[in-house]
Amino acid sequence: MFSKAVKAVCIGCVVLILITCIVHNRCEGPAPHIGFKIVSLSPAMTEIVFALGAAQDLVGVTTFCNYPEQAKKIYKIGDFSNPSLERIVGRKPDLVIVNLPEQMRIKRQLEKLNINIFISSPRTLEDIYDEIIKIGRILKKEQAADSLVNYMKMHISRVDKPVLPVPKYIEGNAVEGSSKKRVYIELAPKPLVTIGAPSFLNELLEMAGAENIFADLVKDYPVVPQEEVIKRNPDVIIVLHPEKITDRLGWRKITAIKNNAVYTTLNQDHLMRPGPRLVIGFKELKEIIDE
Amino acid sequence: MNRYIPIFLVFLLAVFLSIIIGPAQLNADILQLRLSRVILGIFAGGVLAFCGGILQGLFGNPLVEPYTLGSASGAALGGSVGMLIFGTISPLFAFFGALGVGFFVFTIARIEGGLLRDRLILAGVVMSFLCSSLVMIIMVMGGRELYEILYLLMGYLGVVINSTNRLMIILMIVLSGILLLYLYQYYRELDIISQGMETAAGLGIDIQKLSIIIFLTTALLIGITVSIVGAIGFVGLIVPHISKLIFGPKHLKNLPASFLLGATFLLLADTIARVITVYELPVGVVTSLVGVPFFIYLYRRQ
Repeated sequence: MFSKAVKAVCIGCVVLILITCIVHNRCEGPAPHIGFKIVSLSPAMTEIVFALGAAQDLVGVTTFCNYPEQAKKIYKIGDFSNPSLERIVGRKPDLVIVNLPEQMRIKRQLEKLNINIFISSPRTLEDIYDEIIKIGRILKKEQAADSLVNYMKMHISRVDKPVLPVPKYIEGNAVEGSSKKRVYIELAPKPLVTIGAPSFLNELLEMAGAENIFADLVKDYPVVPQEEVIKRNPDVIIVLHPEKITDRLGWRKITAIKNNAVYTTLNQDHLMRPGPRLVIGFKELKEIIDE
Repeated sequence: MNRYIPIFLVFLLAVFLSIIIGPAQLNADILQLRLSRVILGIFAGGVLAFCGGILQGLFGNPLVEPYTLGSASGAALGGSVGMLIFGTISPLFAFFGALGVGFFVFTIARIEGGLLRDRLILAGVVMSFLCSSLVMIIMVMGGRELYEILYLLMGYLGVVINSTNRLMIILMIVLSGILLLYLYQYYRELDIISQGMETAAGLGIDIQKLSIIIFLTTALLIGITVSIVGAIGFVGLIVPHISKLIFGPKHLKNLPASFLLGATFLLLADTIARVITVYELPVGVVTSLVGVPFFIYLYRRQ
């Protein structure tokens, strides 16, 4: 009985060791890299590095880094919320781009190992532009960074429309005297997660000439009750998850649902990633709001 | 029997308060929304407190409740696993999580020809810890699901009800009602068991069989509850004690009282949760925040 158990444990250990070896060998990275080496833990930053024309410096990205197509082929060091320290260190990077606050843990570990880090934690559009300029300077791509920022600034700019009188709503709390469409963006359905004031998406909405119904909340991604959404009665609802929302109990009198102004086709990556593709996201957003 | 009257009045008051208090102005749609919330509150609070009361009676241990027996954590784990695979918390997974952990706890506690009651509790606590760390792993691995698991672990009543889940929720609540009535019929056996195992065995009660029936049925009930509103803590532990303080040890009286008090407590906690912030606060936070001082006060007064 006892020896049987010992045998089983021994066999189990051997199998485990074998599996580890095989998996480890398969994970060996590509050929050694010459020159400046970057590991990017931020999908948006990966896009930015590509846009600056420094893609050859990337020696490691996360599994979330799915754009552009070539990024998928770069060595993966784990996913966005759980990157592997060993895999990062194994790439012997000169610089690791860390996203805060999500990657606080890995940032501390990297600091202990004296690895250079670049912190990406943009809250506003201005932050995004700053970070592009900064990373451009580090990668010696100042010009490319300047032109990327100018390109983004040109396409993401405040819409100065003449203020049109708004048709009065028969019911609901639509604000009189404001021609801005009031928008509710839903990121997740269980619980309801939306965007508050300190997020660049809020800024994008404002620039597109609309108003976020939760712009008064000081949290970037607040969880809100259904009742509050109904009370604030948005004119437009943008859904960034696959669940259907029009048949919810108690929601049918919301202006957006009555008027069929619920949009579900927007690409979350265009709006949620603080990178070059915000230009596309902003254009899509504006099309919805101008409709 | 007349002690039920004040309890019932307080219950009605809680229902009334949760219907009238809230950020939005009351109209037909808001009323619908709040009523659904009230129904979920009565269901979850009642079921948790009832299960806690019956388990405490069965195992003669004041610490026993759906949490300490592993069912609630198992349901939460099952729900999280379901979410990782299908991207949404599936009731089926929560239910199988609760049952699976229940089964494990049973296997650990089983000896030749019977069940060790003390070991059952120990096994439950141990499995709870295991489930918590597994949920933690899922939480760390998942990115955007973080909120969802967090709210599953703390529980909240503001669940979105739509045409896809409406029928399921109604069916689950009806099923829970039937299961509660089924458990309630054992009140006499429970009274005898709480007076002593030997007496109970001498009177011809099959304690092992009863333990298994009650244990599995409560696991099922907890699985259902967790899958709908999340793992709301504290209600199942504290409310049965309060119920026993008021109604004494007889299960005929204190089990229905547990149900009513549990529902009242959860409704009041949810009303507070809705009023104090503009955000959706998990009701589990409030149940412990409000419940602990209240419970200490009640026990010190004794």
